[in-house]
Amino acid sequence: MKALKLHQELTAIWRNAPGWRGTLCSVNHSDIGKRFIVGAFAFFAIGGVLAMLIRAQLATPASAFVGPEVYNQLFTMHGSIMMFLFAIPMFEGLALYLLPKMLGARDMAYPRLSALGWWCYLFGGSILIVAMLAGVAPDAGWFLYPPLSGKQWTPGINSDVWLLGITFVEISAMCAAIEIAVSILRLRAPGMRIDRMPLFAWYLLATAAMMLFGFPPLILGSILLEIERAFGWPFYTPALGGSPLLWQHLFWLFGHPEVYIIFLPAAGAVSTILPVMARTRILAYGALVAAVMALAFLSFGLWVHHMFTTGIPHMALGFFSAASTLVAIPTAVQVFAWIGTLWSGRPQMKLPMLYLIGFFVVFVLGGLTGVMLAVVPFDQQAHDTAFVTAHLHYVLVGGFVFPMLAAAYYWLPHFTGRERVMQLGETAFWLIFVGFNLTFFMMHLTGLLGMPRRIDTYSDAMGWTWLNLLSSVGSFVMAFGFALFTIDVGLQIWLGRHHRRNPWHAGTLEWAMAIPAPAYNFASLPQVAGRDPLYDQPDLGVALARGEGWLGATRHGWRETLAVDMVTGEPDHIVILPGNSWLPIATAGVLAGFFLAMLAGLYWIAPLFLVGVGAIGWRWAWTNGAREDYGTLPAGQGVALPPSTEALGTTGWWGSVFALAASATLFASLLFGYAFLWTVAPDWPPPQLIARTVLEPSLALLGAVLAIVAVRRVGPDGRTALAVAAGGQIALILALVLLVVLRLPSPASHAYAATGAVVAAYAIFHATLAATMLAFARARIASGHIGGARLGELRIVRLWSDHAAGAGVVATLLLALPGWIA
Amino acid sequence: MRALVRMSAGLIVWAIAFCLLYALHGLGCARGWATIRFGETSAHQTALIAGWLLCIGMGIGIAVWQWPARSGTLVDRTGFRLALIGVAATAITGLPIFTLPACF
Repeated sequence: MKALKLHQELTAIWRNAPGWRGTLCSVNHSDIGKRFIVGAFAFFAIGGVLAMLIRAQLATPASAFVGPEVYNQLFTMHGSIMMFLFAIPMFEGLALYLLPKMLGARDMAYPRLSALGWWCYLFGGSILIVAMLAGVAPDAGWFLYPPLSGKQWTPGINSDVWLLGITFVEISAMCAAIEIAVSILRLRAPGMRIDRMPLFAWYLLATAAMMLFGFPPLILGSILLEIERAFGWPFYTPALGGSPLLWQHLFWLFGHPEVYIIFLPAAGAVSTILPVMARTRILAYGALVAAVMALAFLSFGLWVHHMFTTGIPHMALGFFSAASTLVAIPTAVQVFAWIGTLWSGRPQMKLPMLYLIGFFVVFVLGGLTGVMLAVVPFDQQAHDTAFVTAHLHYVLVGGFVFPMLAAAYYWLPHFTGRERVMQLGETAFWLIFVGFNLTFFMMHLTGLLGMPRRIDTYSDAMGWTWLNLLSSVGSFVMAFGFALFTIDVGLQIWLGRHHRRNPWHAGTLEWAMAIPAPAYNFASLPQVAGRDPLYDQPDLGVALARGEGWLGATRHGWRETLAVDMVTGEPDHIVILPGNSWLPIATAGVLAGFFLAMLAGLYWIAPLFLVGVGAIGWRWAWTNGAREDYGTLPAGQGVALPPSTEALGTTGWWGSVFALAASATLFASLLFGYAFLWTVAPDWPPPQLIARTVLEPSLALLGAVLAIVAVRRVGPDGRTALAVAAGGQIALILALVLLVVLRLPSPASHAYAATGAVVAAYAIFHATLAATMLAFARARIASGHIGGARLGELRIVRLWSDHAAGAGVVATLLLALPGWIA
Repeated sequence: MRALVRMSAGLIVWAIAFCLLYALHGLGCARGWATIRFGETSAHQTALIAGWLLCIGMGIGIAVWQWPARSGTLVDRTGFRLALIGVAATAITGLPIFTLPACF
């Protein structure tokens, strides 16, 4: 009876409102995770149809199925959809759904941010699909190289659709990265030391960190290219000091880690499913953690291997070639650990296992051709041929799609609470496996015979005809396999019999709950003493449902979960999570207005939407916190802990740290771009430098010092200090605006001035944000939200204010220095 | 967080080494350091070798610092392993300095 009562109380707190309002305002991680997965699969289906159209065109020589204009849109959209709208959102969805359940928490660290990410993804992806239906889809290849994607060669809005749509979608990736990192580090079950975390969490932690440092270069590159297209500031135009190679650097600084960002979560799924299928525990947990960490770092040293034929000097190519071959070692460590696990266990050939075998075969083959392409002379021969297309499909389909299919069958009972109906999954596997290899093995051969990528037609005399025909037949066989998979899943969802708990006899915590999972996950949170809690305590789920764990009672209608120490897993404080809210969809809607205004060329209207985002952001932050101290509260097990409003080192603080790390990476990428253009691009030094001045740099320095010093003097009643700090930020803004307007040459005149103006814009944006946050803190002191033990918000404001001041000083020095030394 | 940073220290040194070598390479080519003689070799190669050795030294320093932790918790042991991996990766990544032409 106690379990039922607790279930009813928790459901009342955690459930969605009924009807459309509930759907639009839901912030629950299970809902958002499922939406991401379904959305990603829908985009995968669209991308798959495009792939079939591509293969239909290439099935025979001199095909008249589609013309080159449409064909260019087909392959560009296929690549863009699969990379940005399928792969990343799919693993984000899986992570959002599973992580809290595997870690022993009730939700992610920022439920509203999850929802914002979902709406940004949906709206941004829809912009691309609508553009495709309107015939103005991007058509310059999924990596959108300038000058082809520039205004001269793509005068329509095709490239703008990509730049704005994908950047919109990337907001969701950044939200997910921050959310995943903080949730893994702080929201775990008590006792779950960092070395007791499920391997899936280690993989996702590495992935989230890579996203924080990998996505900002692409976001920057996209912003610069959109500015060049919209306002004519020449970042990539060689005649005015720009360089198209800068785009390639920024793109591949993201693009190569991206491959591992996609692979690592899938490998995490493999490391979770494989030992269960082998009825044993994972072998070499520590070596796998080391391999994951090594991959997360080394994969950033590979980006130039996509640029081996651009004329970069041999020694630089050597650095990247060495790193590209090195990265095979930690990958191999994982493969050997998985083989060892199979060897030491008693493997069962259940359906997820079948897909894992498909993963092994395909991914290892893709890895081997990857080592071939890492060697410069071979790459120079195979570059831009179908061989590369074949390699990347072996890596991405082998390294992501097959593990995701295994994951789908492994976790479907968790999502649906139901059993499979028919044995369609096995047939689907063989169709996909045979179809895939038929399609892409042939493309290795056509590539080696010299067939370039992205061509819309070819002559029979080239000798590629029968290989292409087989490829096309294979692609349709594979498509039938995916169709069968979809039917199989549909049958399970609608017709399957109800399943018992933990059908695979797994040891991880997501199976310690009823399936499908209730909105609150755990009625009470577990105390963890090992890596496989359900192996140690098979009836844990029942005990938790009775409220025998942590937080086994409700109070004040709060959505509560526990924050623990990052390393030891000792309970630290009670996190009070926000409830359902219209704020995420409203924010995404206003952001959509901004991106659509930019797309329509309404550049003077677009900033109004950003003001709207700021206003909603204010409201968003205002709804957090409390106006009174509660002191320590009972958390269960005889322990009392403070609520998050009265704790230090809160999830909010850590989220800010990671957000600022990503922002600083964007700034560093901008500085790299500035240095790159100055040393490599033609037409440098620029014809006109900034005018020599001491006034504005002095004002900027004074403002920064004022902001840094004053913000440190802010206490619970420090409204004057906050006003002084805000004044410092305003002085910084004024100095930078004056530098750009009065001293810098016109940004449209040369890449030097254009880059300088963007550097200043970055600093101005952050100083404006900091000044707003300082004003917010002042209002919160007045309203009573800050005071007593509730000082966490001041620490967060200080972080942002310090970052803005530091960036302002760097930007000022960078702008003023050429004038002084000229 | 400090434990995670300590665990990654060896790889952070590798990342610094990689950026340093690539930056020195680009800067040297842009400034014509390859044409300035420095004993038996050029100023460019000397700068690159110095940067490479410095980073290998830093990596070894990190490994020595982590040596007492090699038999500690999993995080400590992983930190030591990653320090060794960082040194090896730095050494291998820098080998082209000795074998390939710098600026063409």
